[in-house]
Amino acid sequence: MTLAILYALLAGVLVSLSRQINGRLSLSTSALTASFWNHIVGLAVLTVLGLALGGLWPQGALDAPWHAYLGGTMGVIFVASGSWLIARIGAVNTAMLVIGGQMVSGVLLDLVRGAQDNIVTSVVGVAMIIAGMSLTQKR
Amino acid sequence: MPALTRPAPFHLLLAFASGGLLTLMVDFNGLVALHAGPFYSSWVAHGTGTVAALIFLGVLRLASRDDGKTDTPQKPRAPLWAYLGGVSGAVTVMLTSHTVNTALALSGTLALGLAGQVLFSLAADRWGLLGMQVRIPGLRDFSALALIFAGSMIIIFGQG
Repeated sequence: MTLAILYALLAGVLVSLSRQINGRLSLSTSALTASFWNHIVGLAVLTVLGLALGGLWPQGALDAPWHAYLGGTMGVIFVASGSWLIARIGAVNTAMLVIGGQMVSGVLLDLVRGAQDNIVTSVVGVAMIIAGMSLTQKR
Repeated sequence: MPALTRPAPFHLLLAFASGGLLTLMVDFNGLVALHAGPFYSSWVAHGTGTVAALIFLGVLRLASRDDGKTDTPQKPRAPLWAYLGGVSGAVTVMLTSHTVNTALALSGTLALGLAGQVLFSLAADRWGLLGMQVRIPGLRDFSALALIFAGSMIIIFGQG
């Protein structure tokens, strides 16, 4: 359990670490170029691991609906915008605003799907996030 | 290097929209993972992403084909480590696909992941880690951070 907690914390650290590194690369190239390198290097690492451990092409590899395979393209835009933002507004602001967008859109998605279990806490949470986001704005 | 500023409304909108894109991306990649596992899902997302990035870069180059008249200032060379951001993304997937199956479940994984992001970002700005600018967070930043973090926790743990 302690190990799982460390892993989950480390996963968050790595998200910010990779944004910081890609942000640095974008200063010397461009945000989109940084996103390209992020993806091709990640692909190389995962390919080596998949070849070593097996399971690169599992059963069901092509069974998901076609639109599900657009996730990678979204990732390119996501990494490019993060690299662009972090060089302009810093790591804390970028992380906070992206997290805010992720949480609020997650609540909306659940709402649309009727998977929202507790509307009261969600509304309170969204209100706090919006208040926090408006605090980050220039006066 | 562009000067760091407080976010303008445009920054806020872009970041907010990219958070929304992340929600969709996680959902789509999760759908692939449902059919063929989290490792494959991440591998295929990196593969299709590489192709998509090449296409985007090609389109941009065609659109802005300059005739050599504009001088662009020379940018500083990137150190070799700056190309390794993708390694940490690849490792993240493996960590989280493990932790969601422990007692932490999805909510614990999300909450601790947000905490990890906040802690690292604070240190990154404070000391300008990895060649980025120093930006010392003030009271306003901490208040915003506290509100967004607490609001996120209420949403994550309010479910179920």
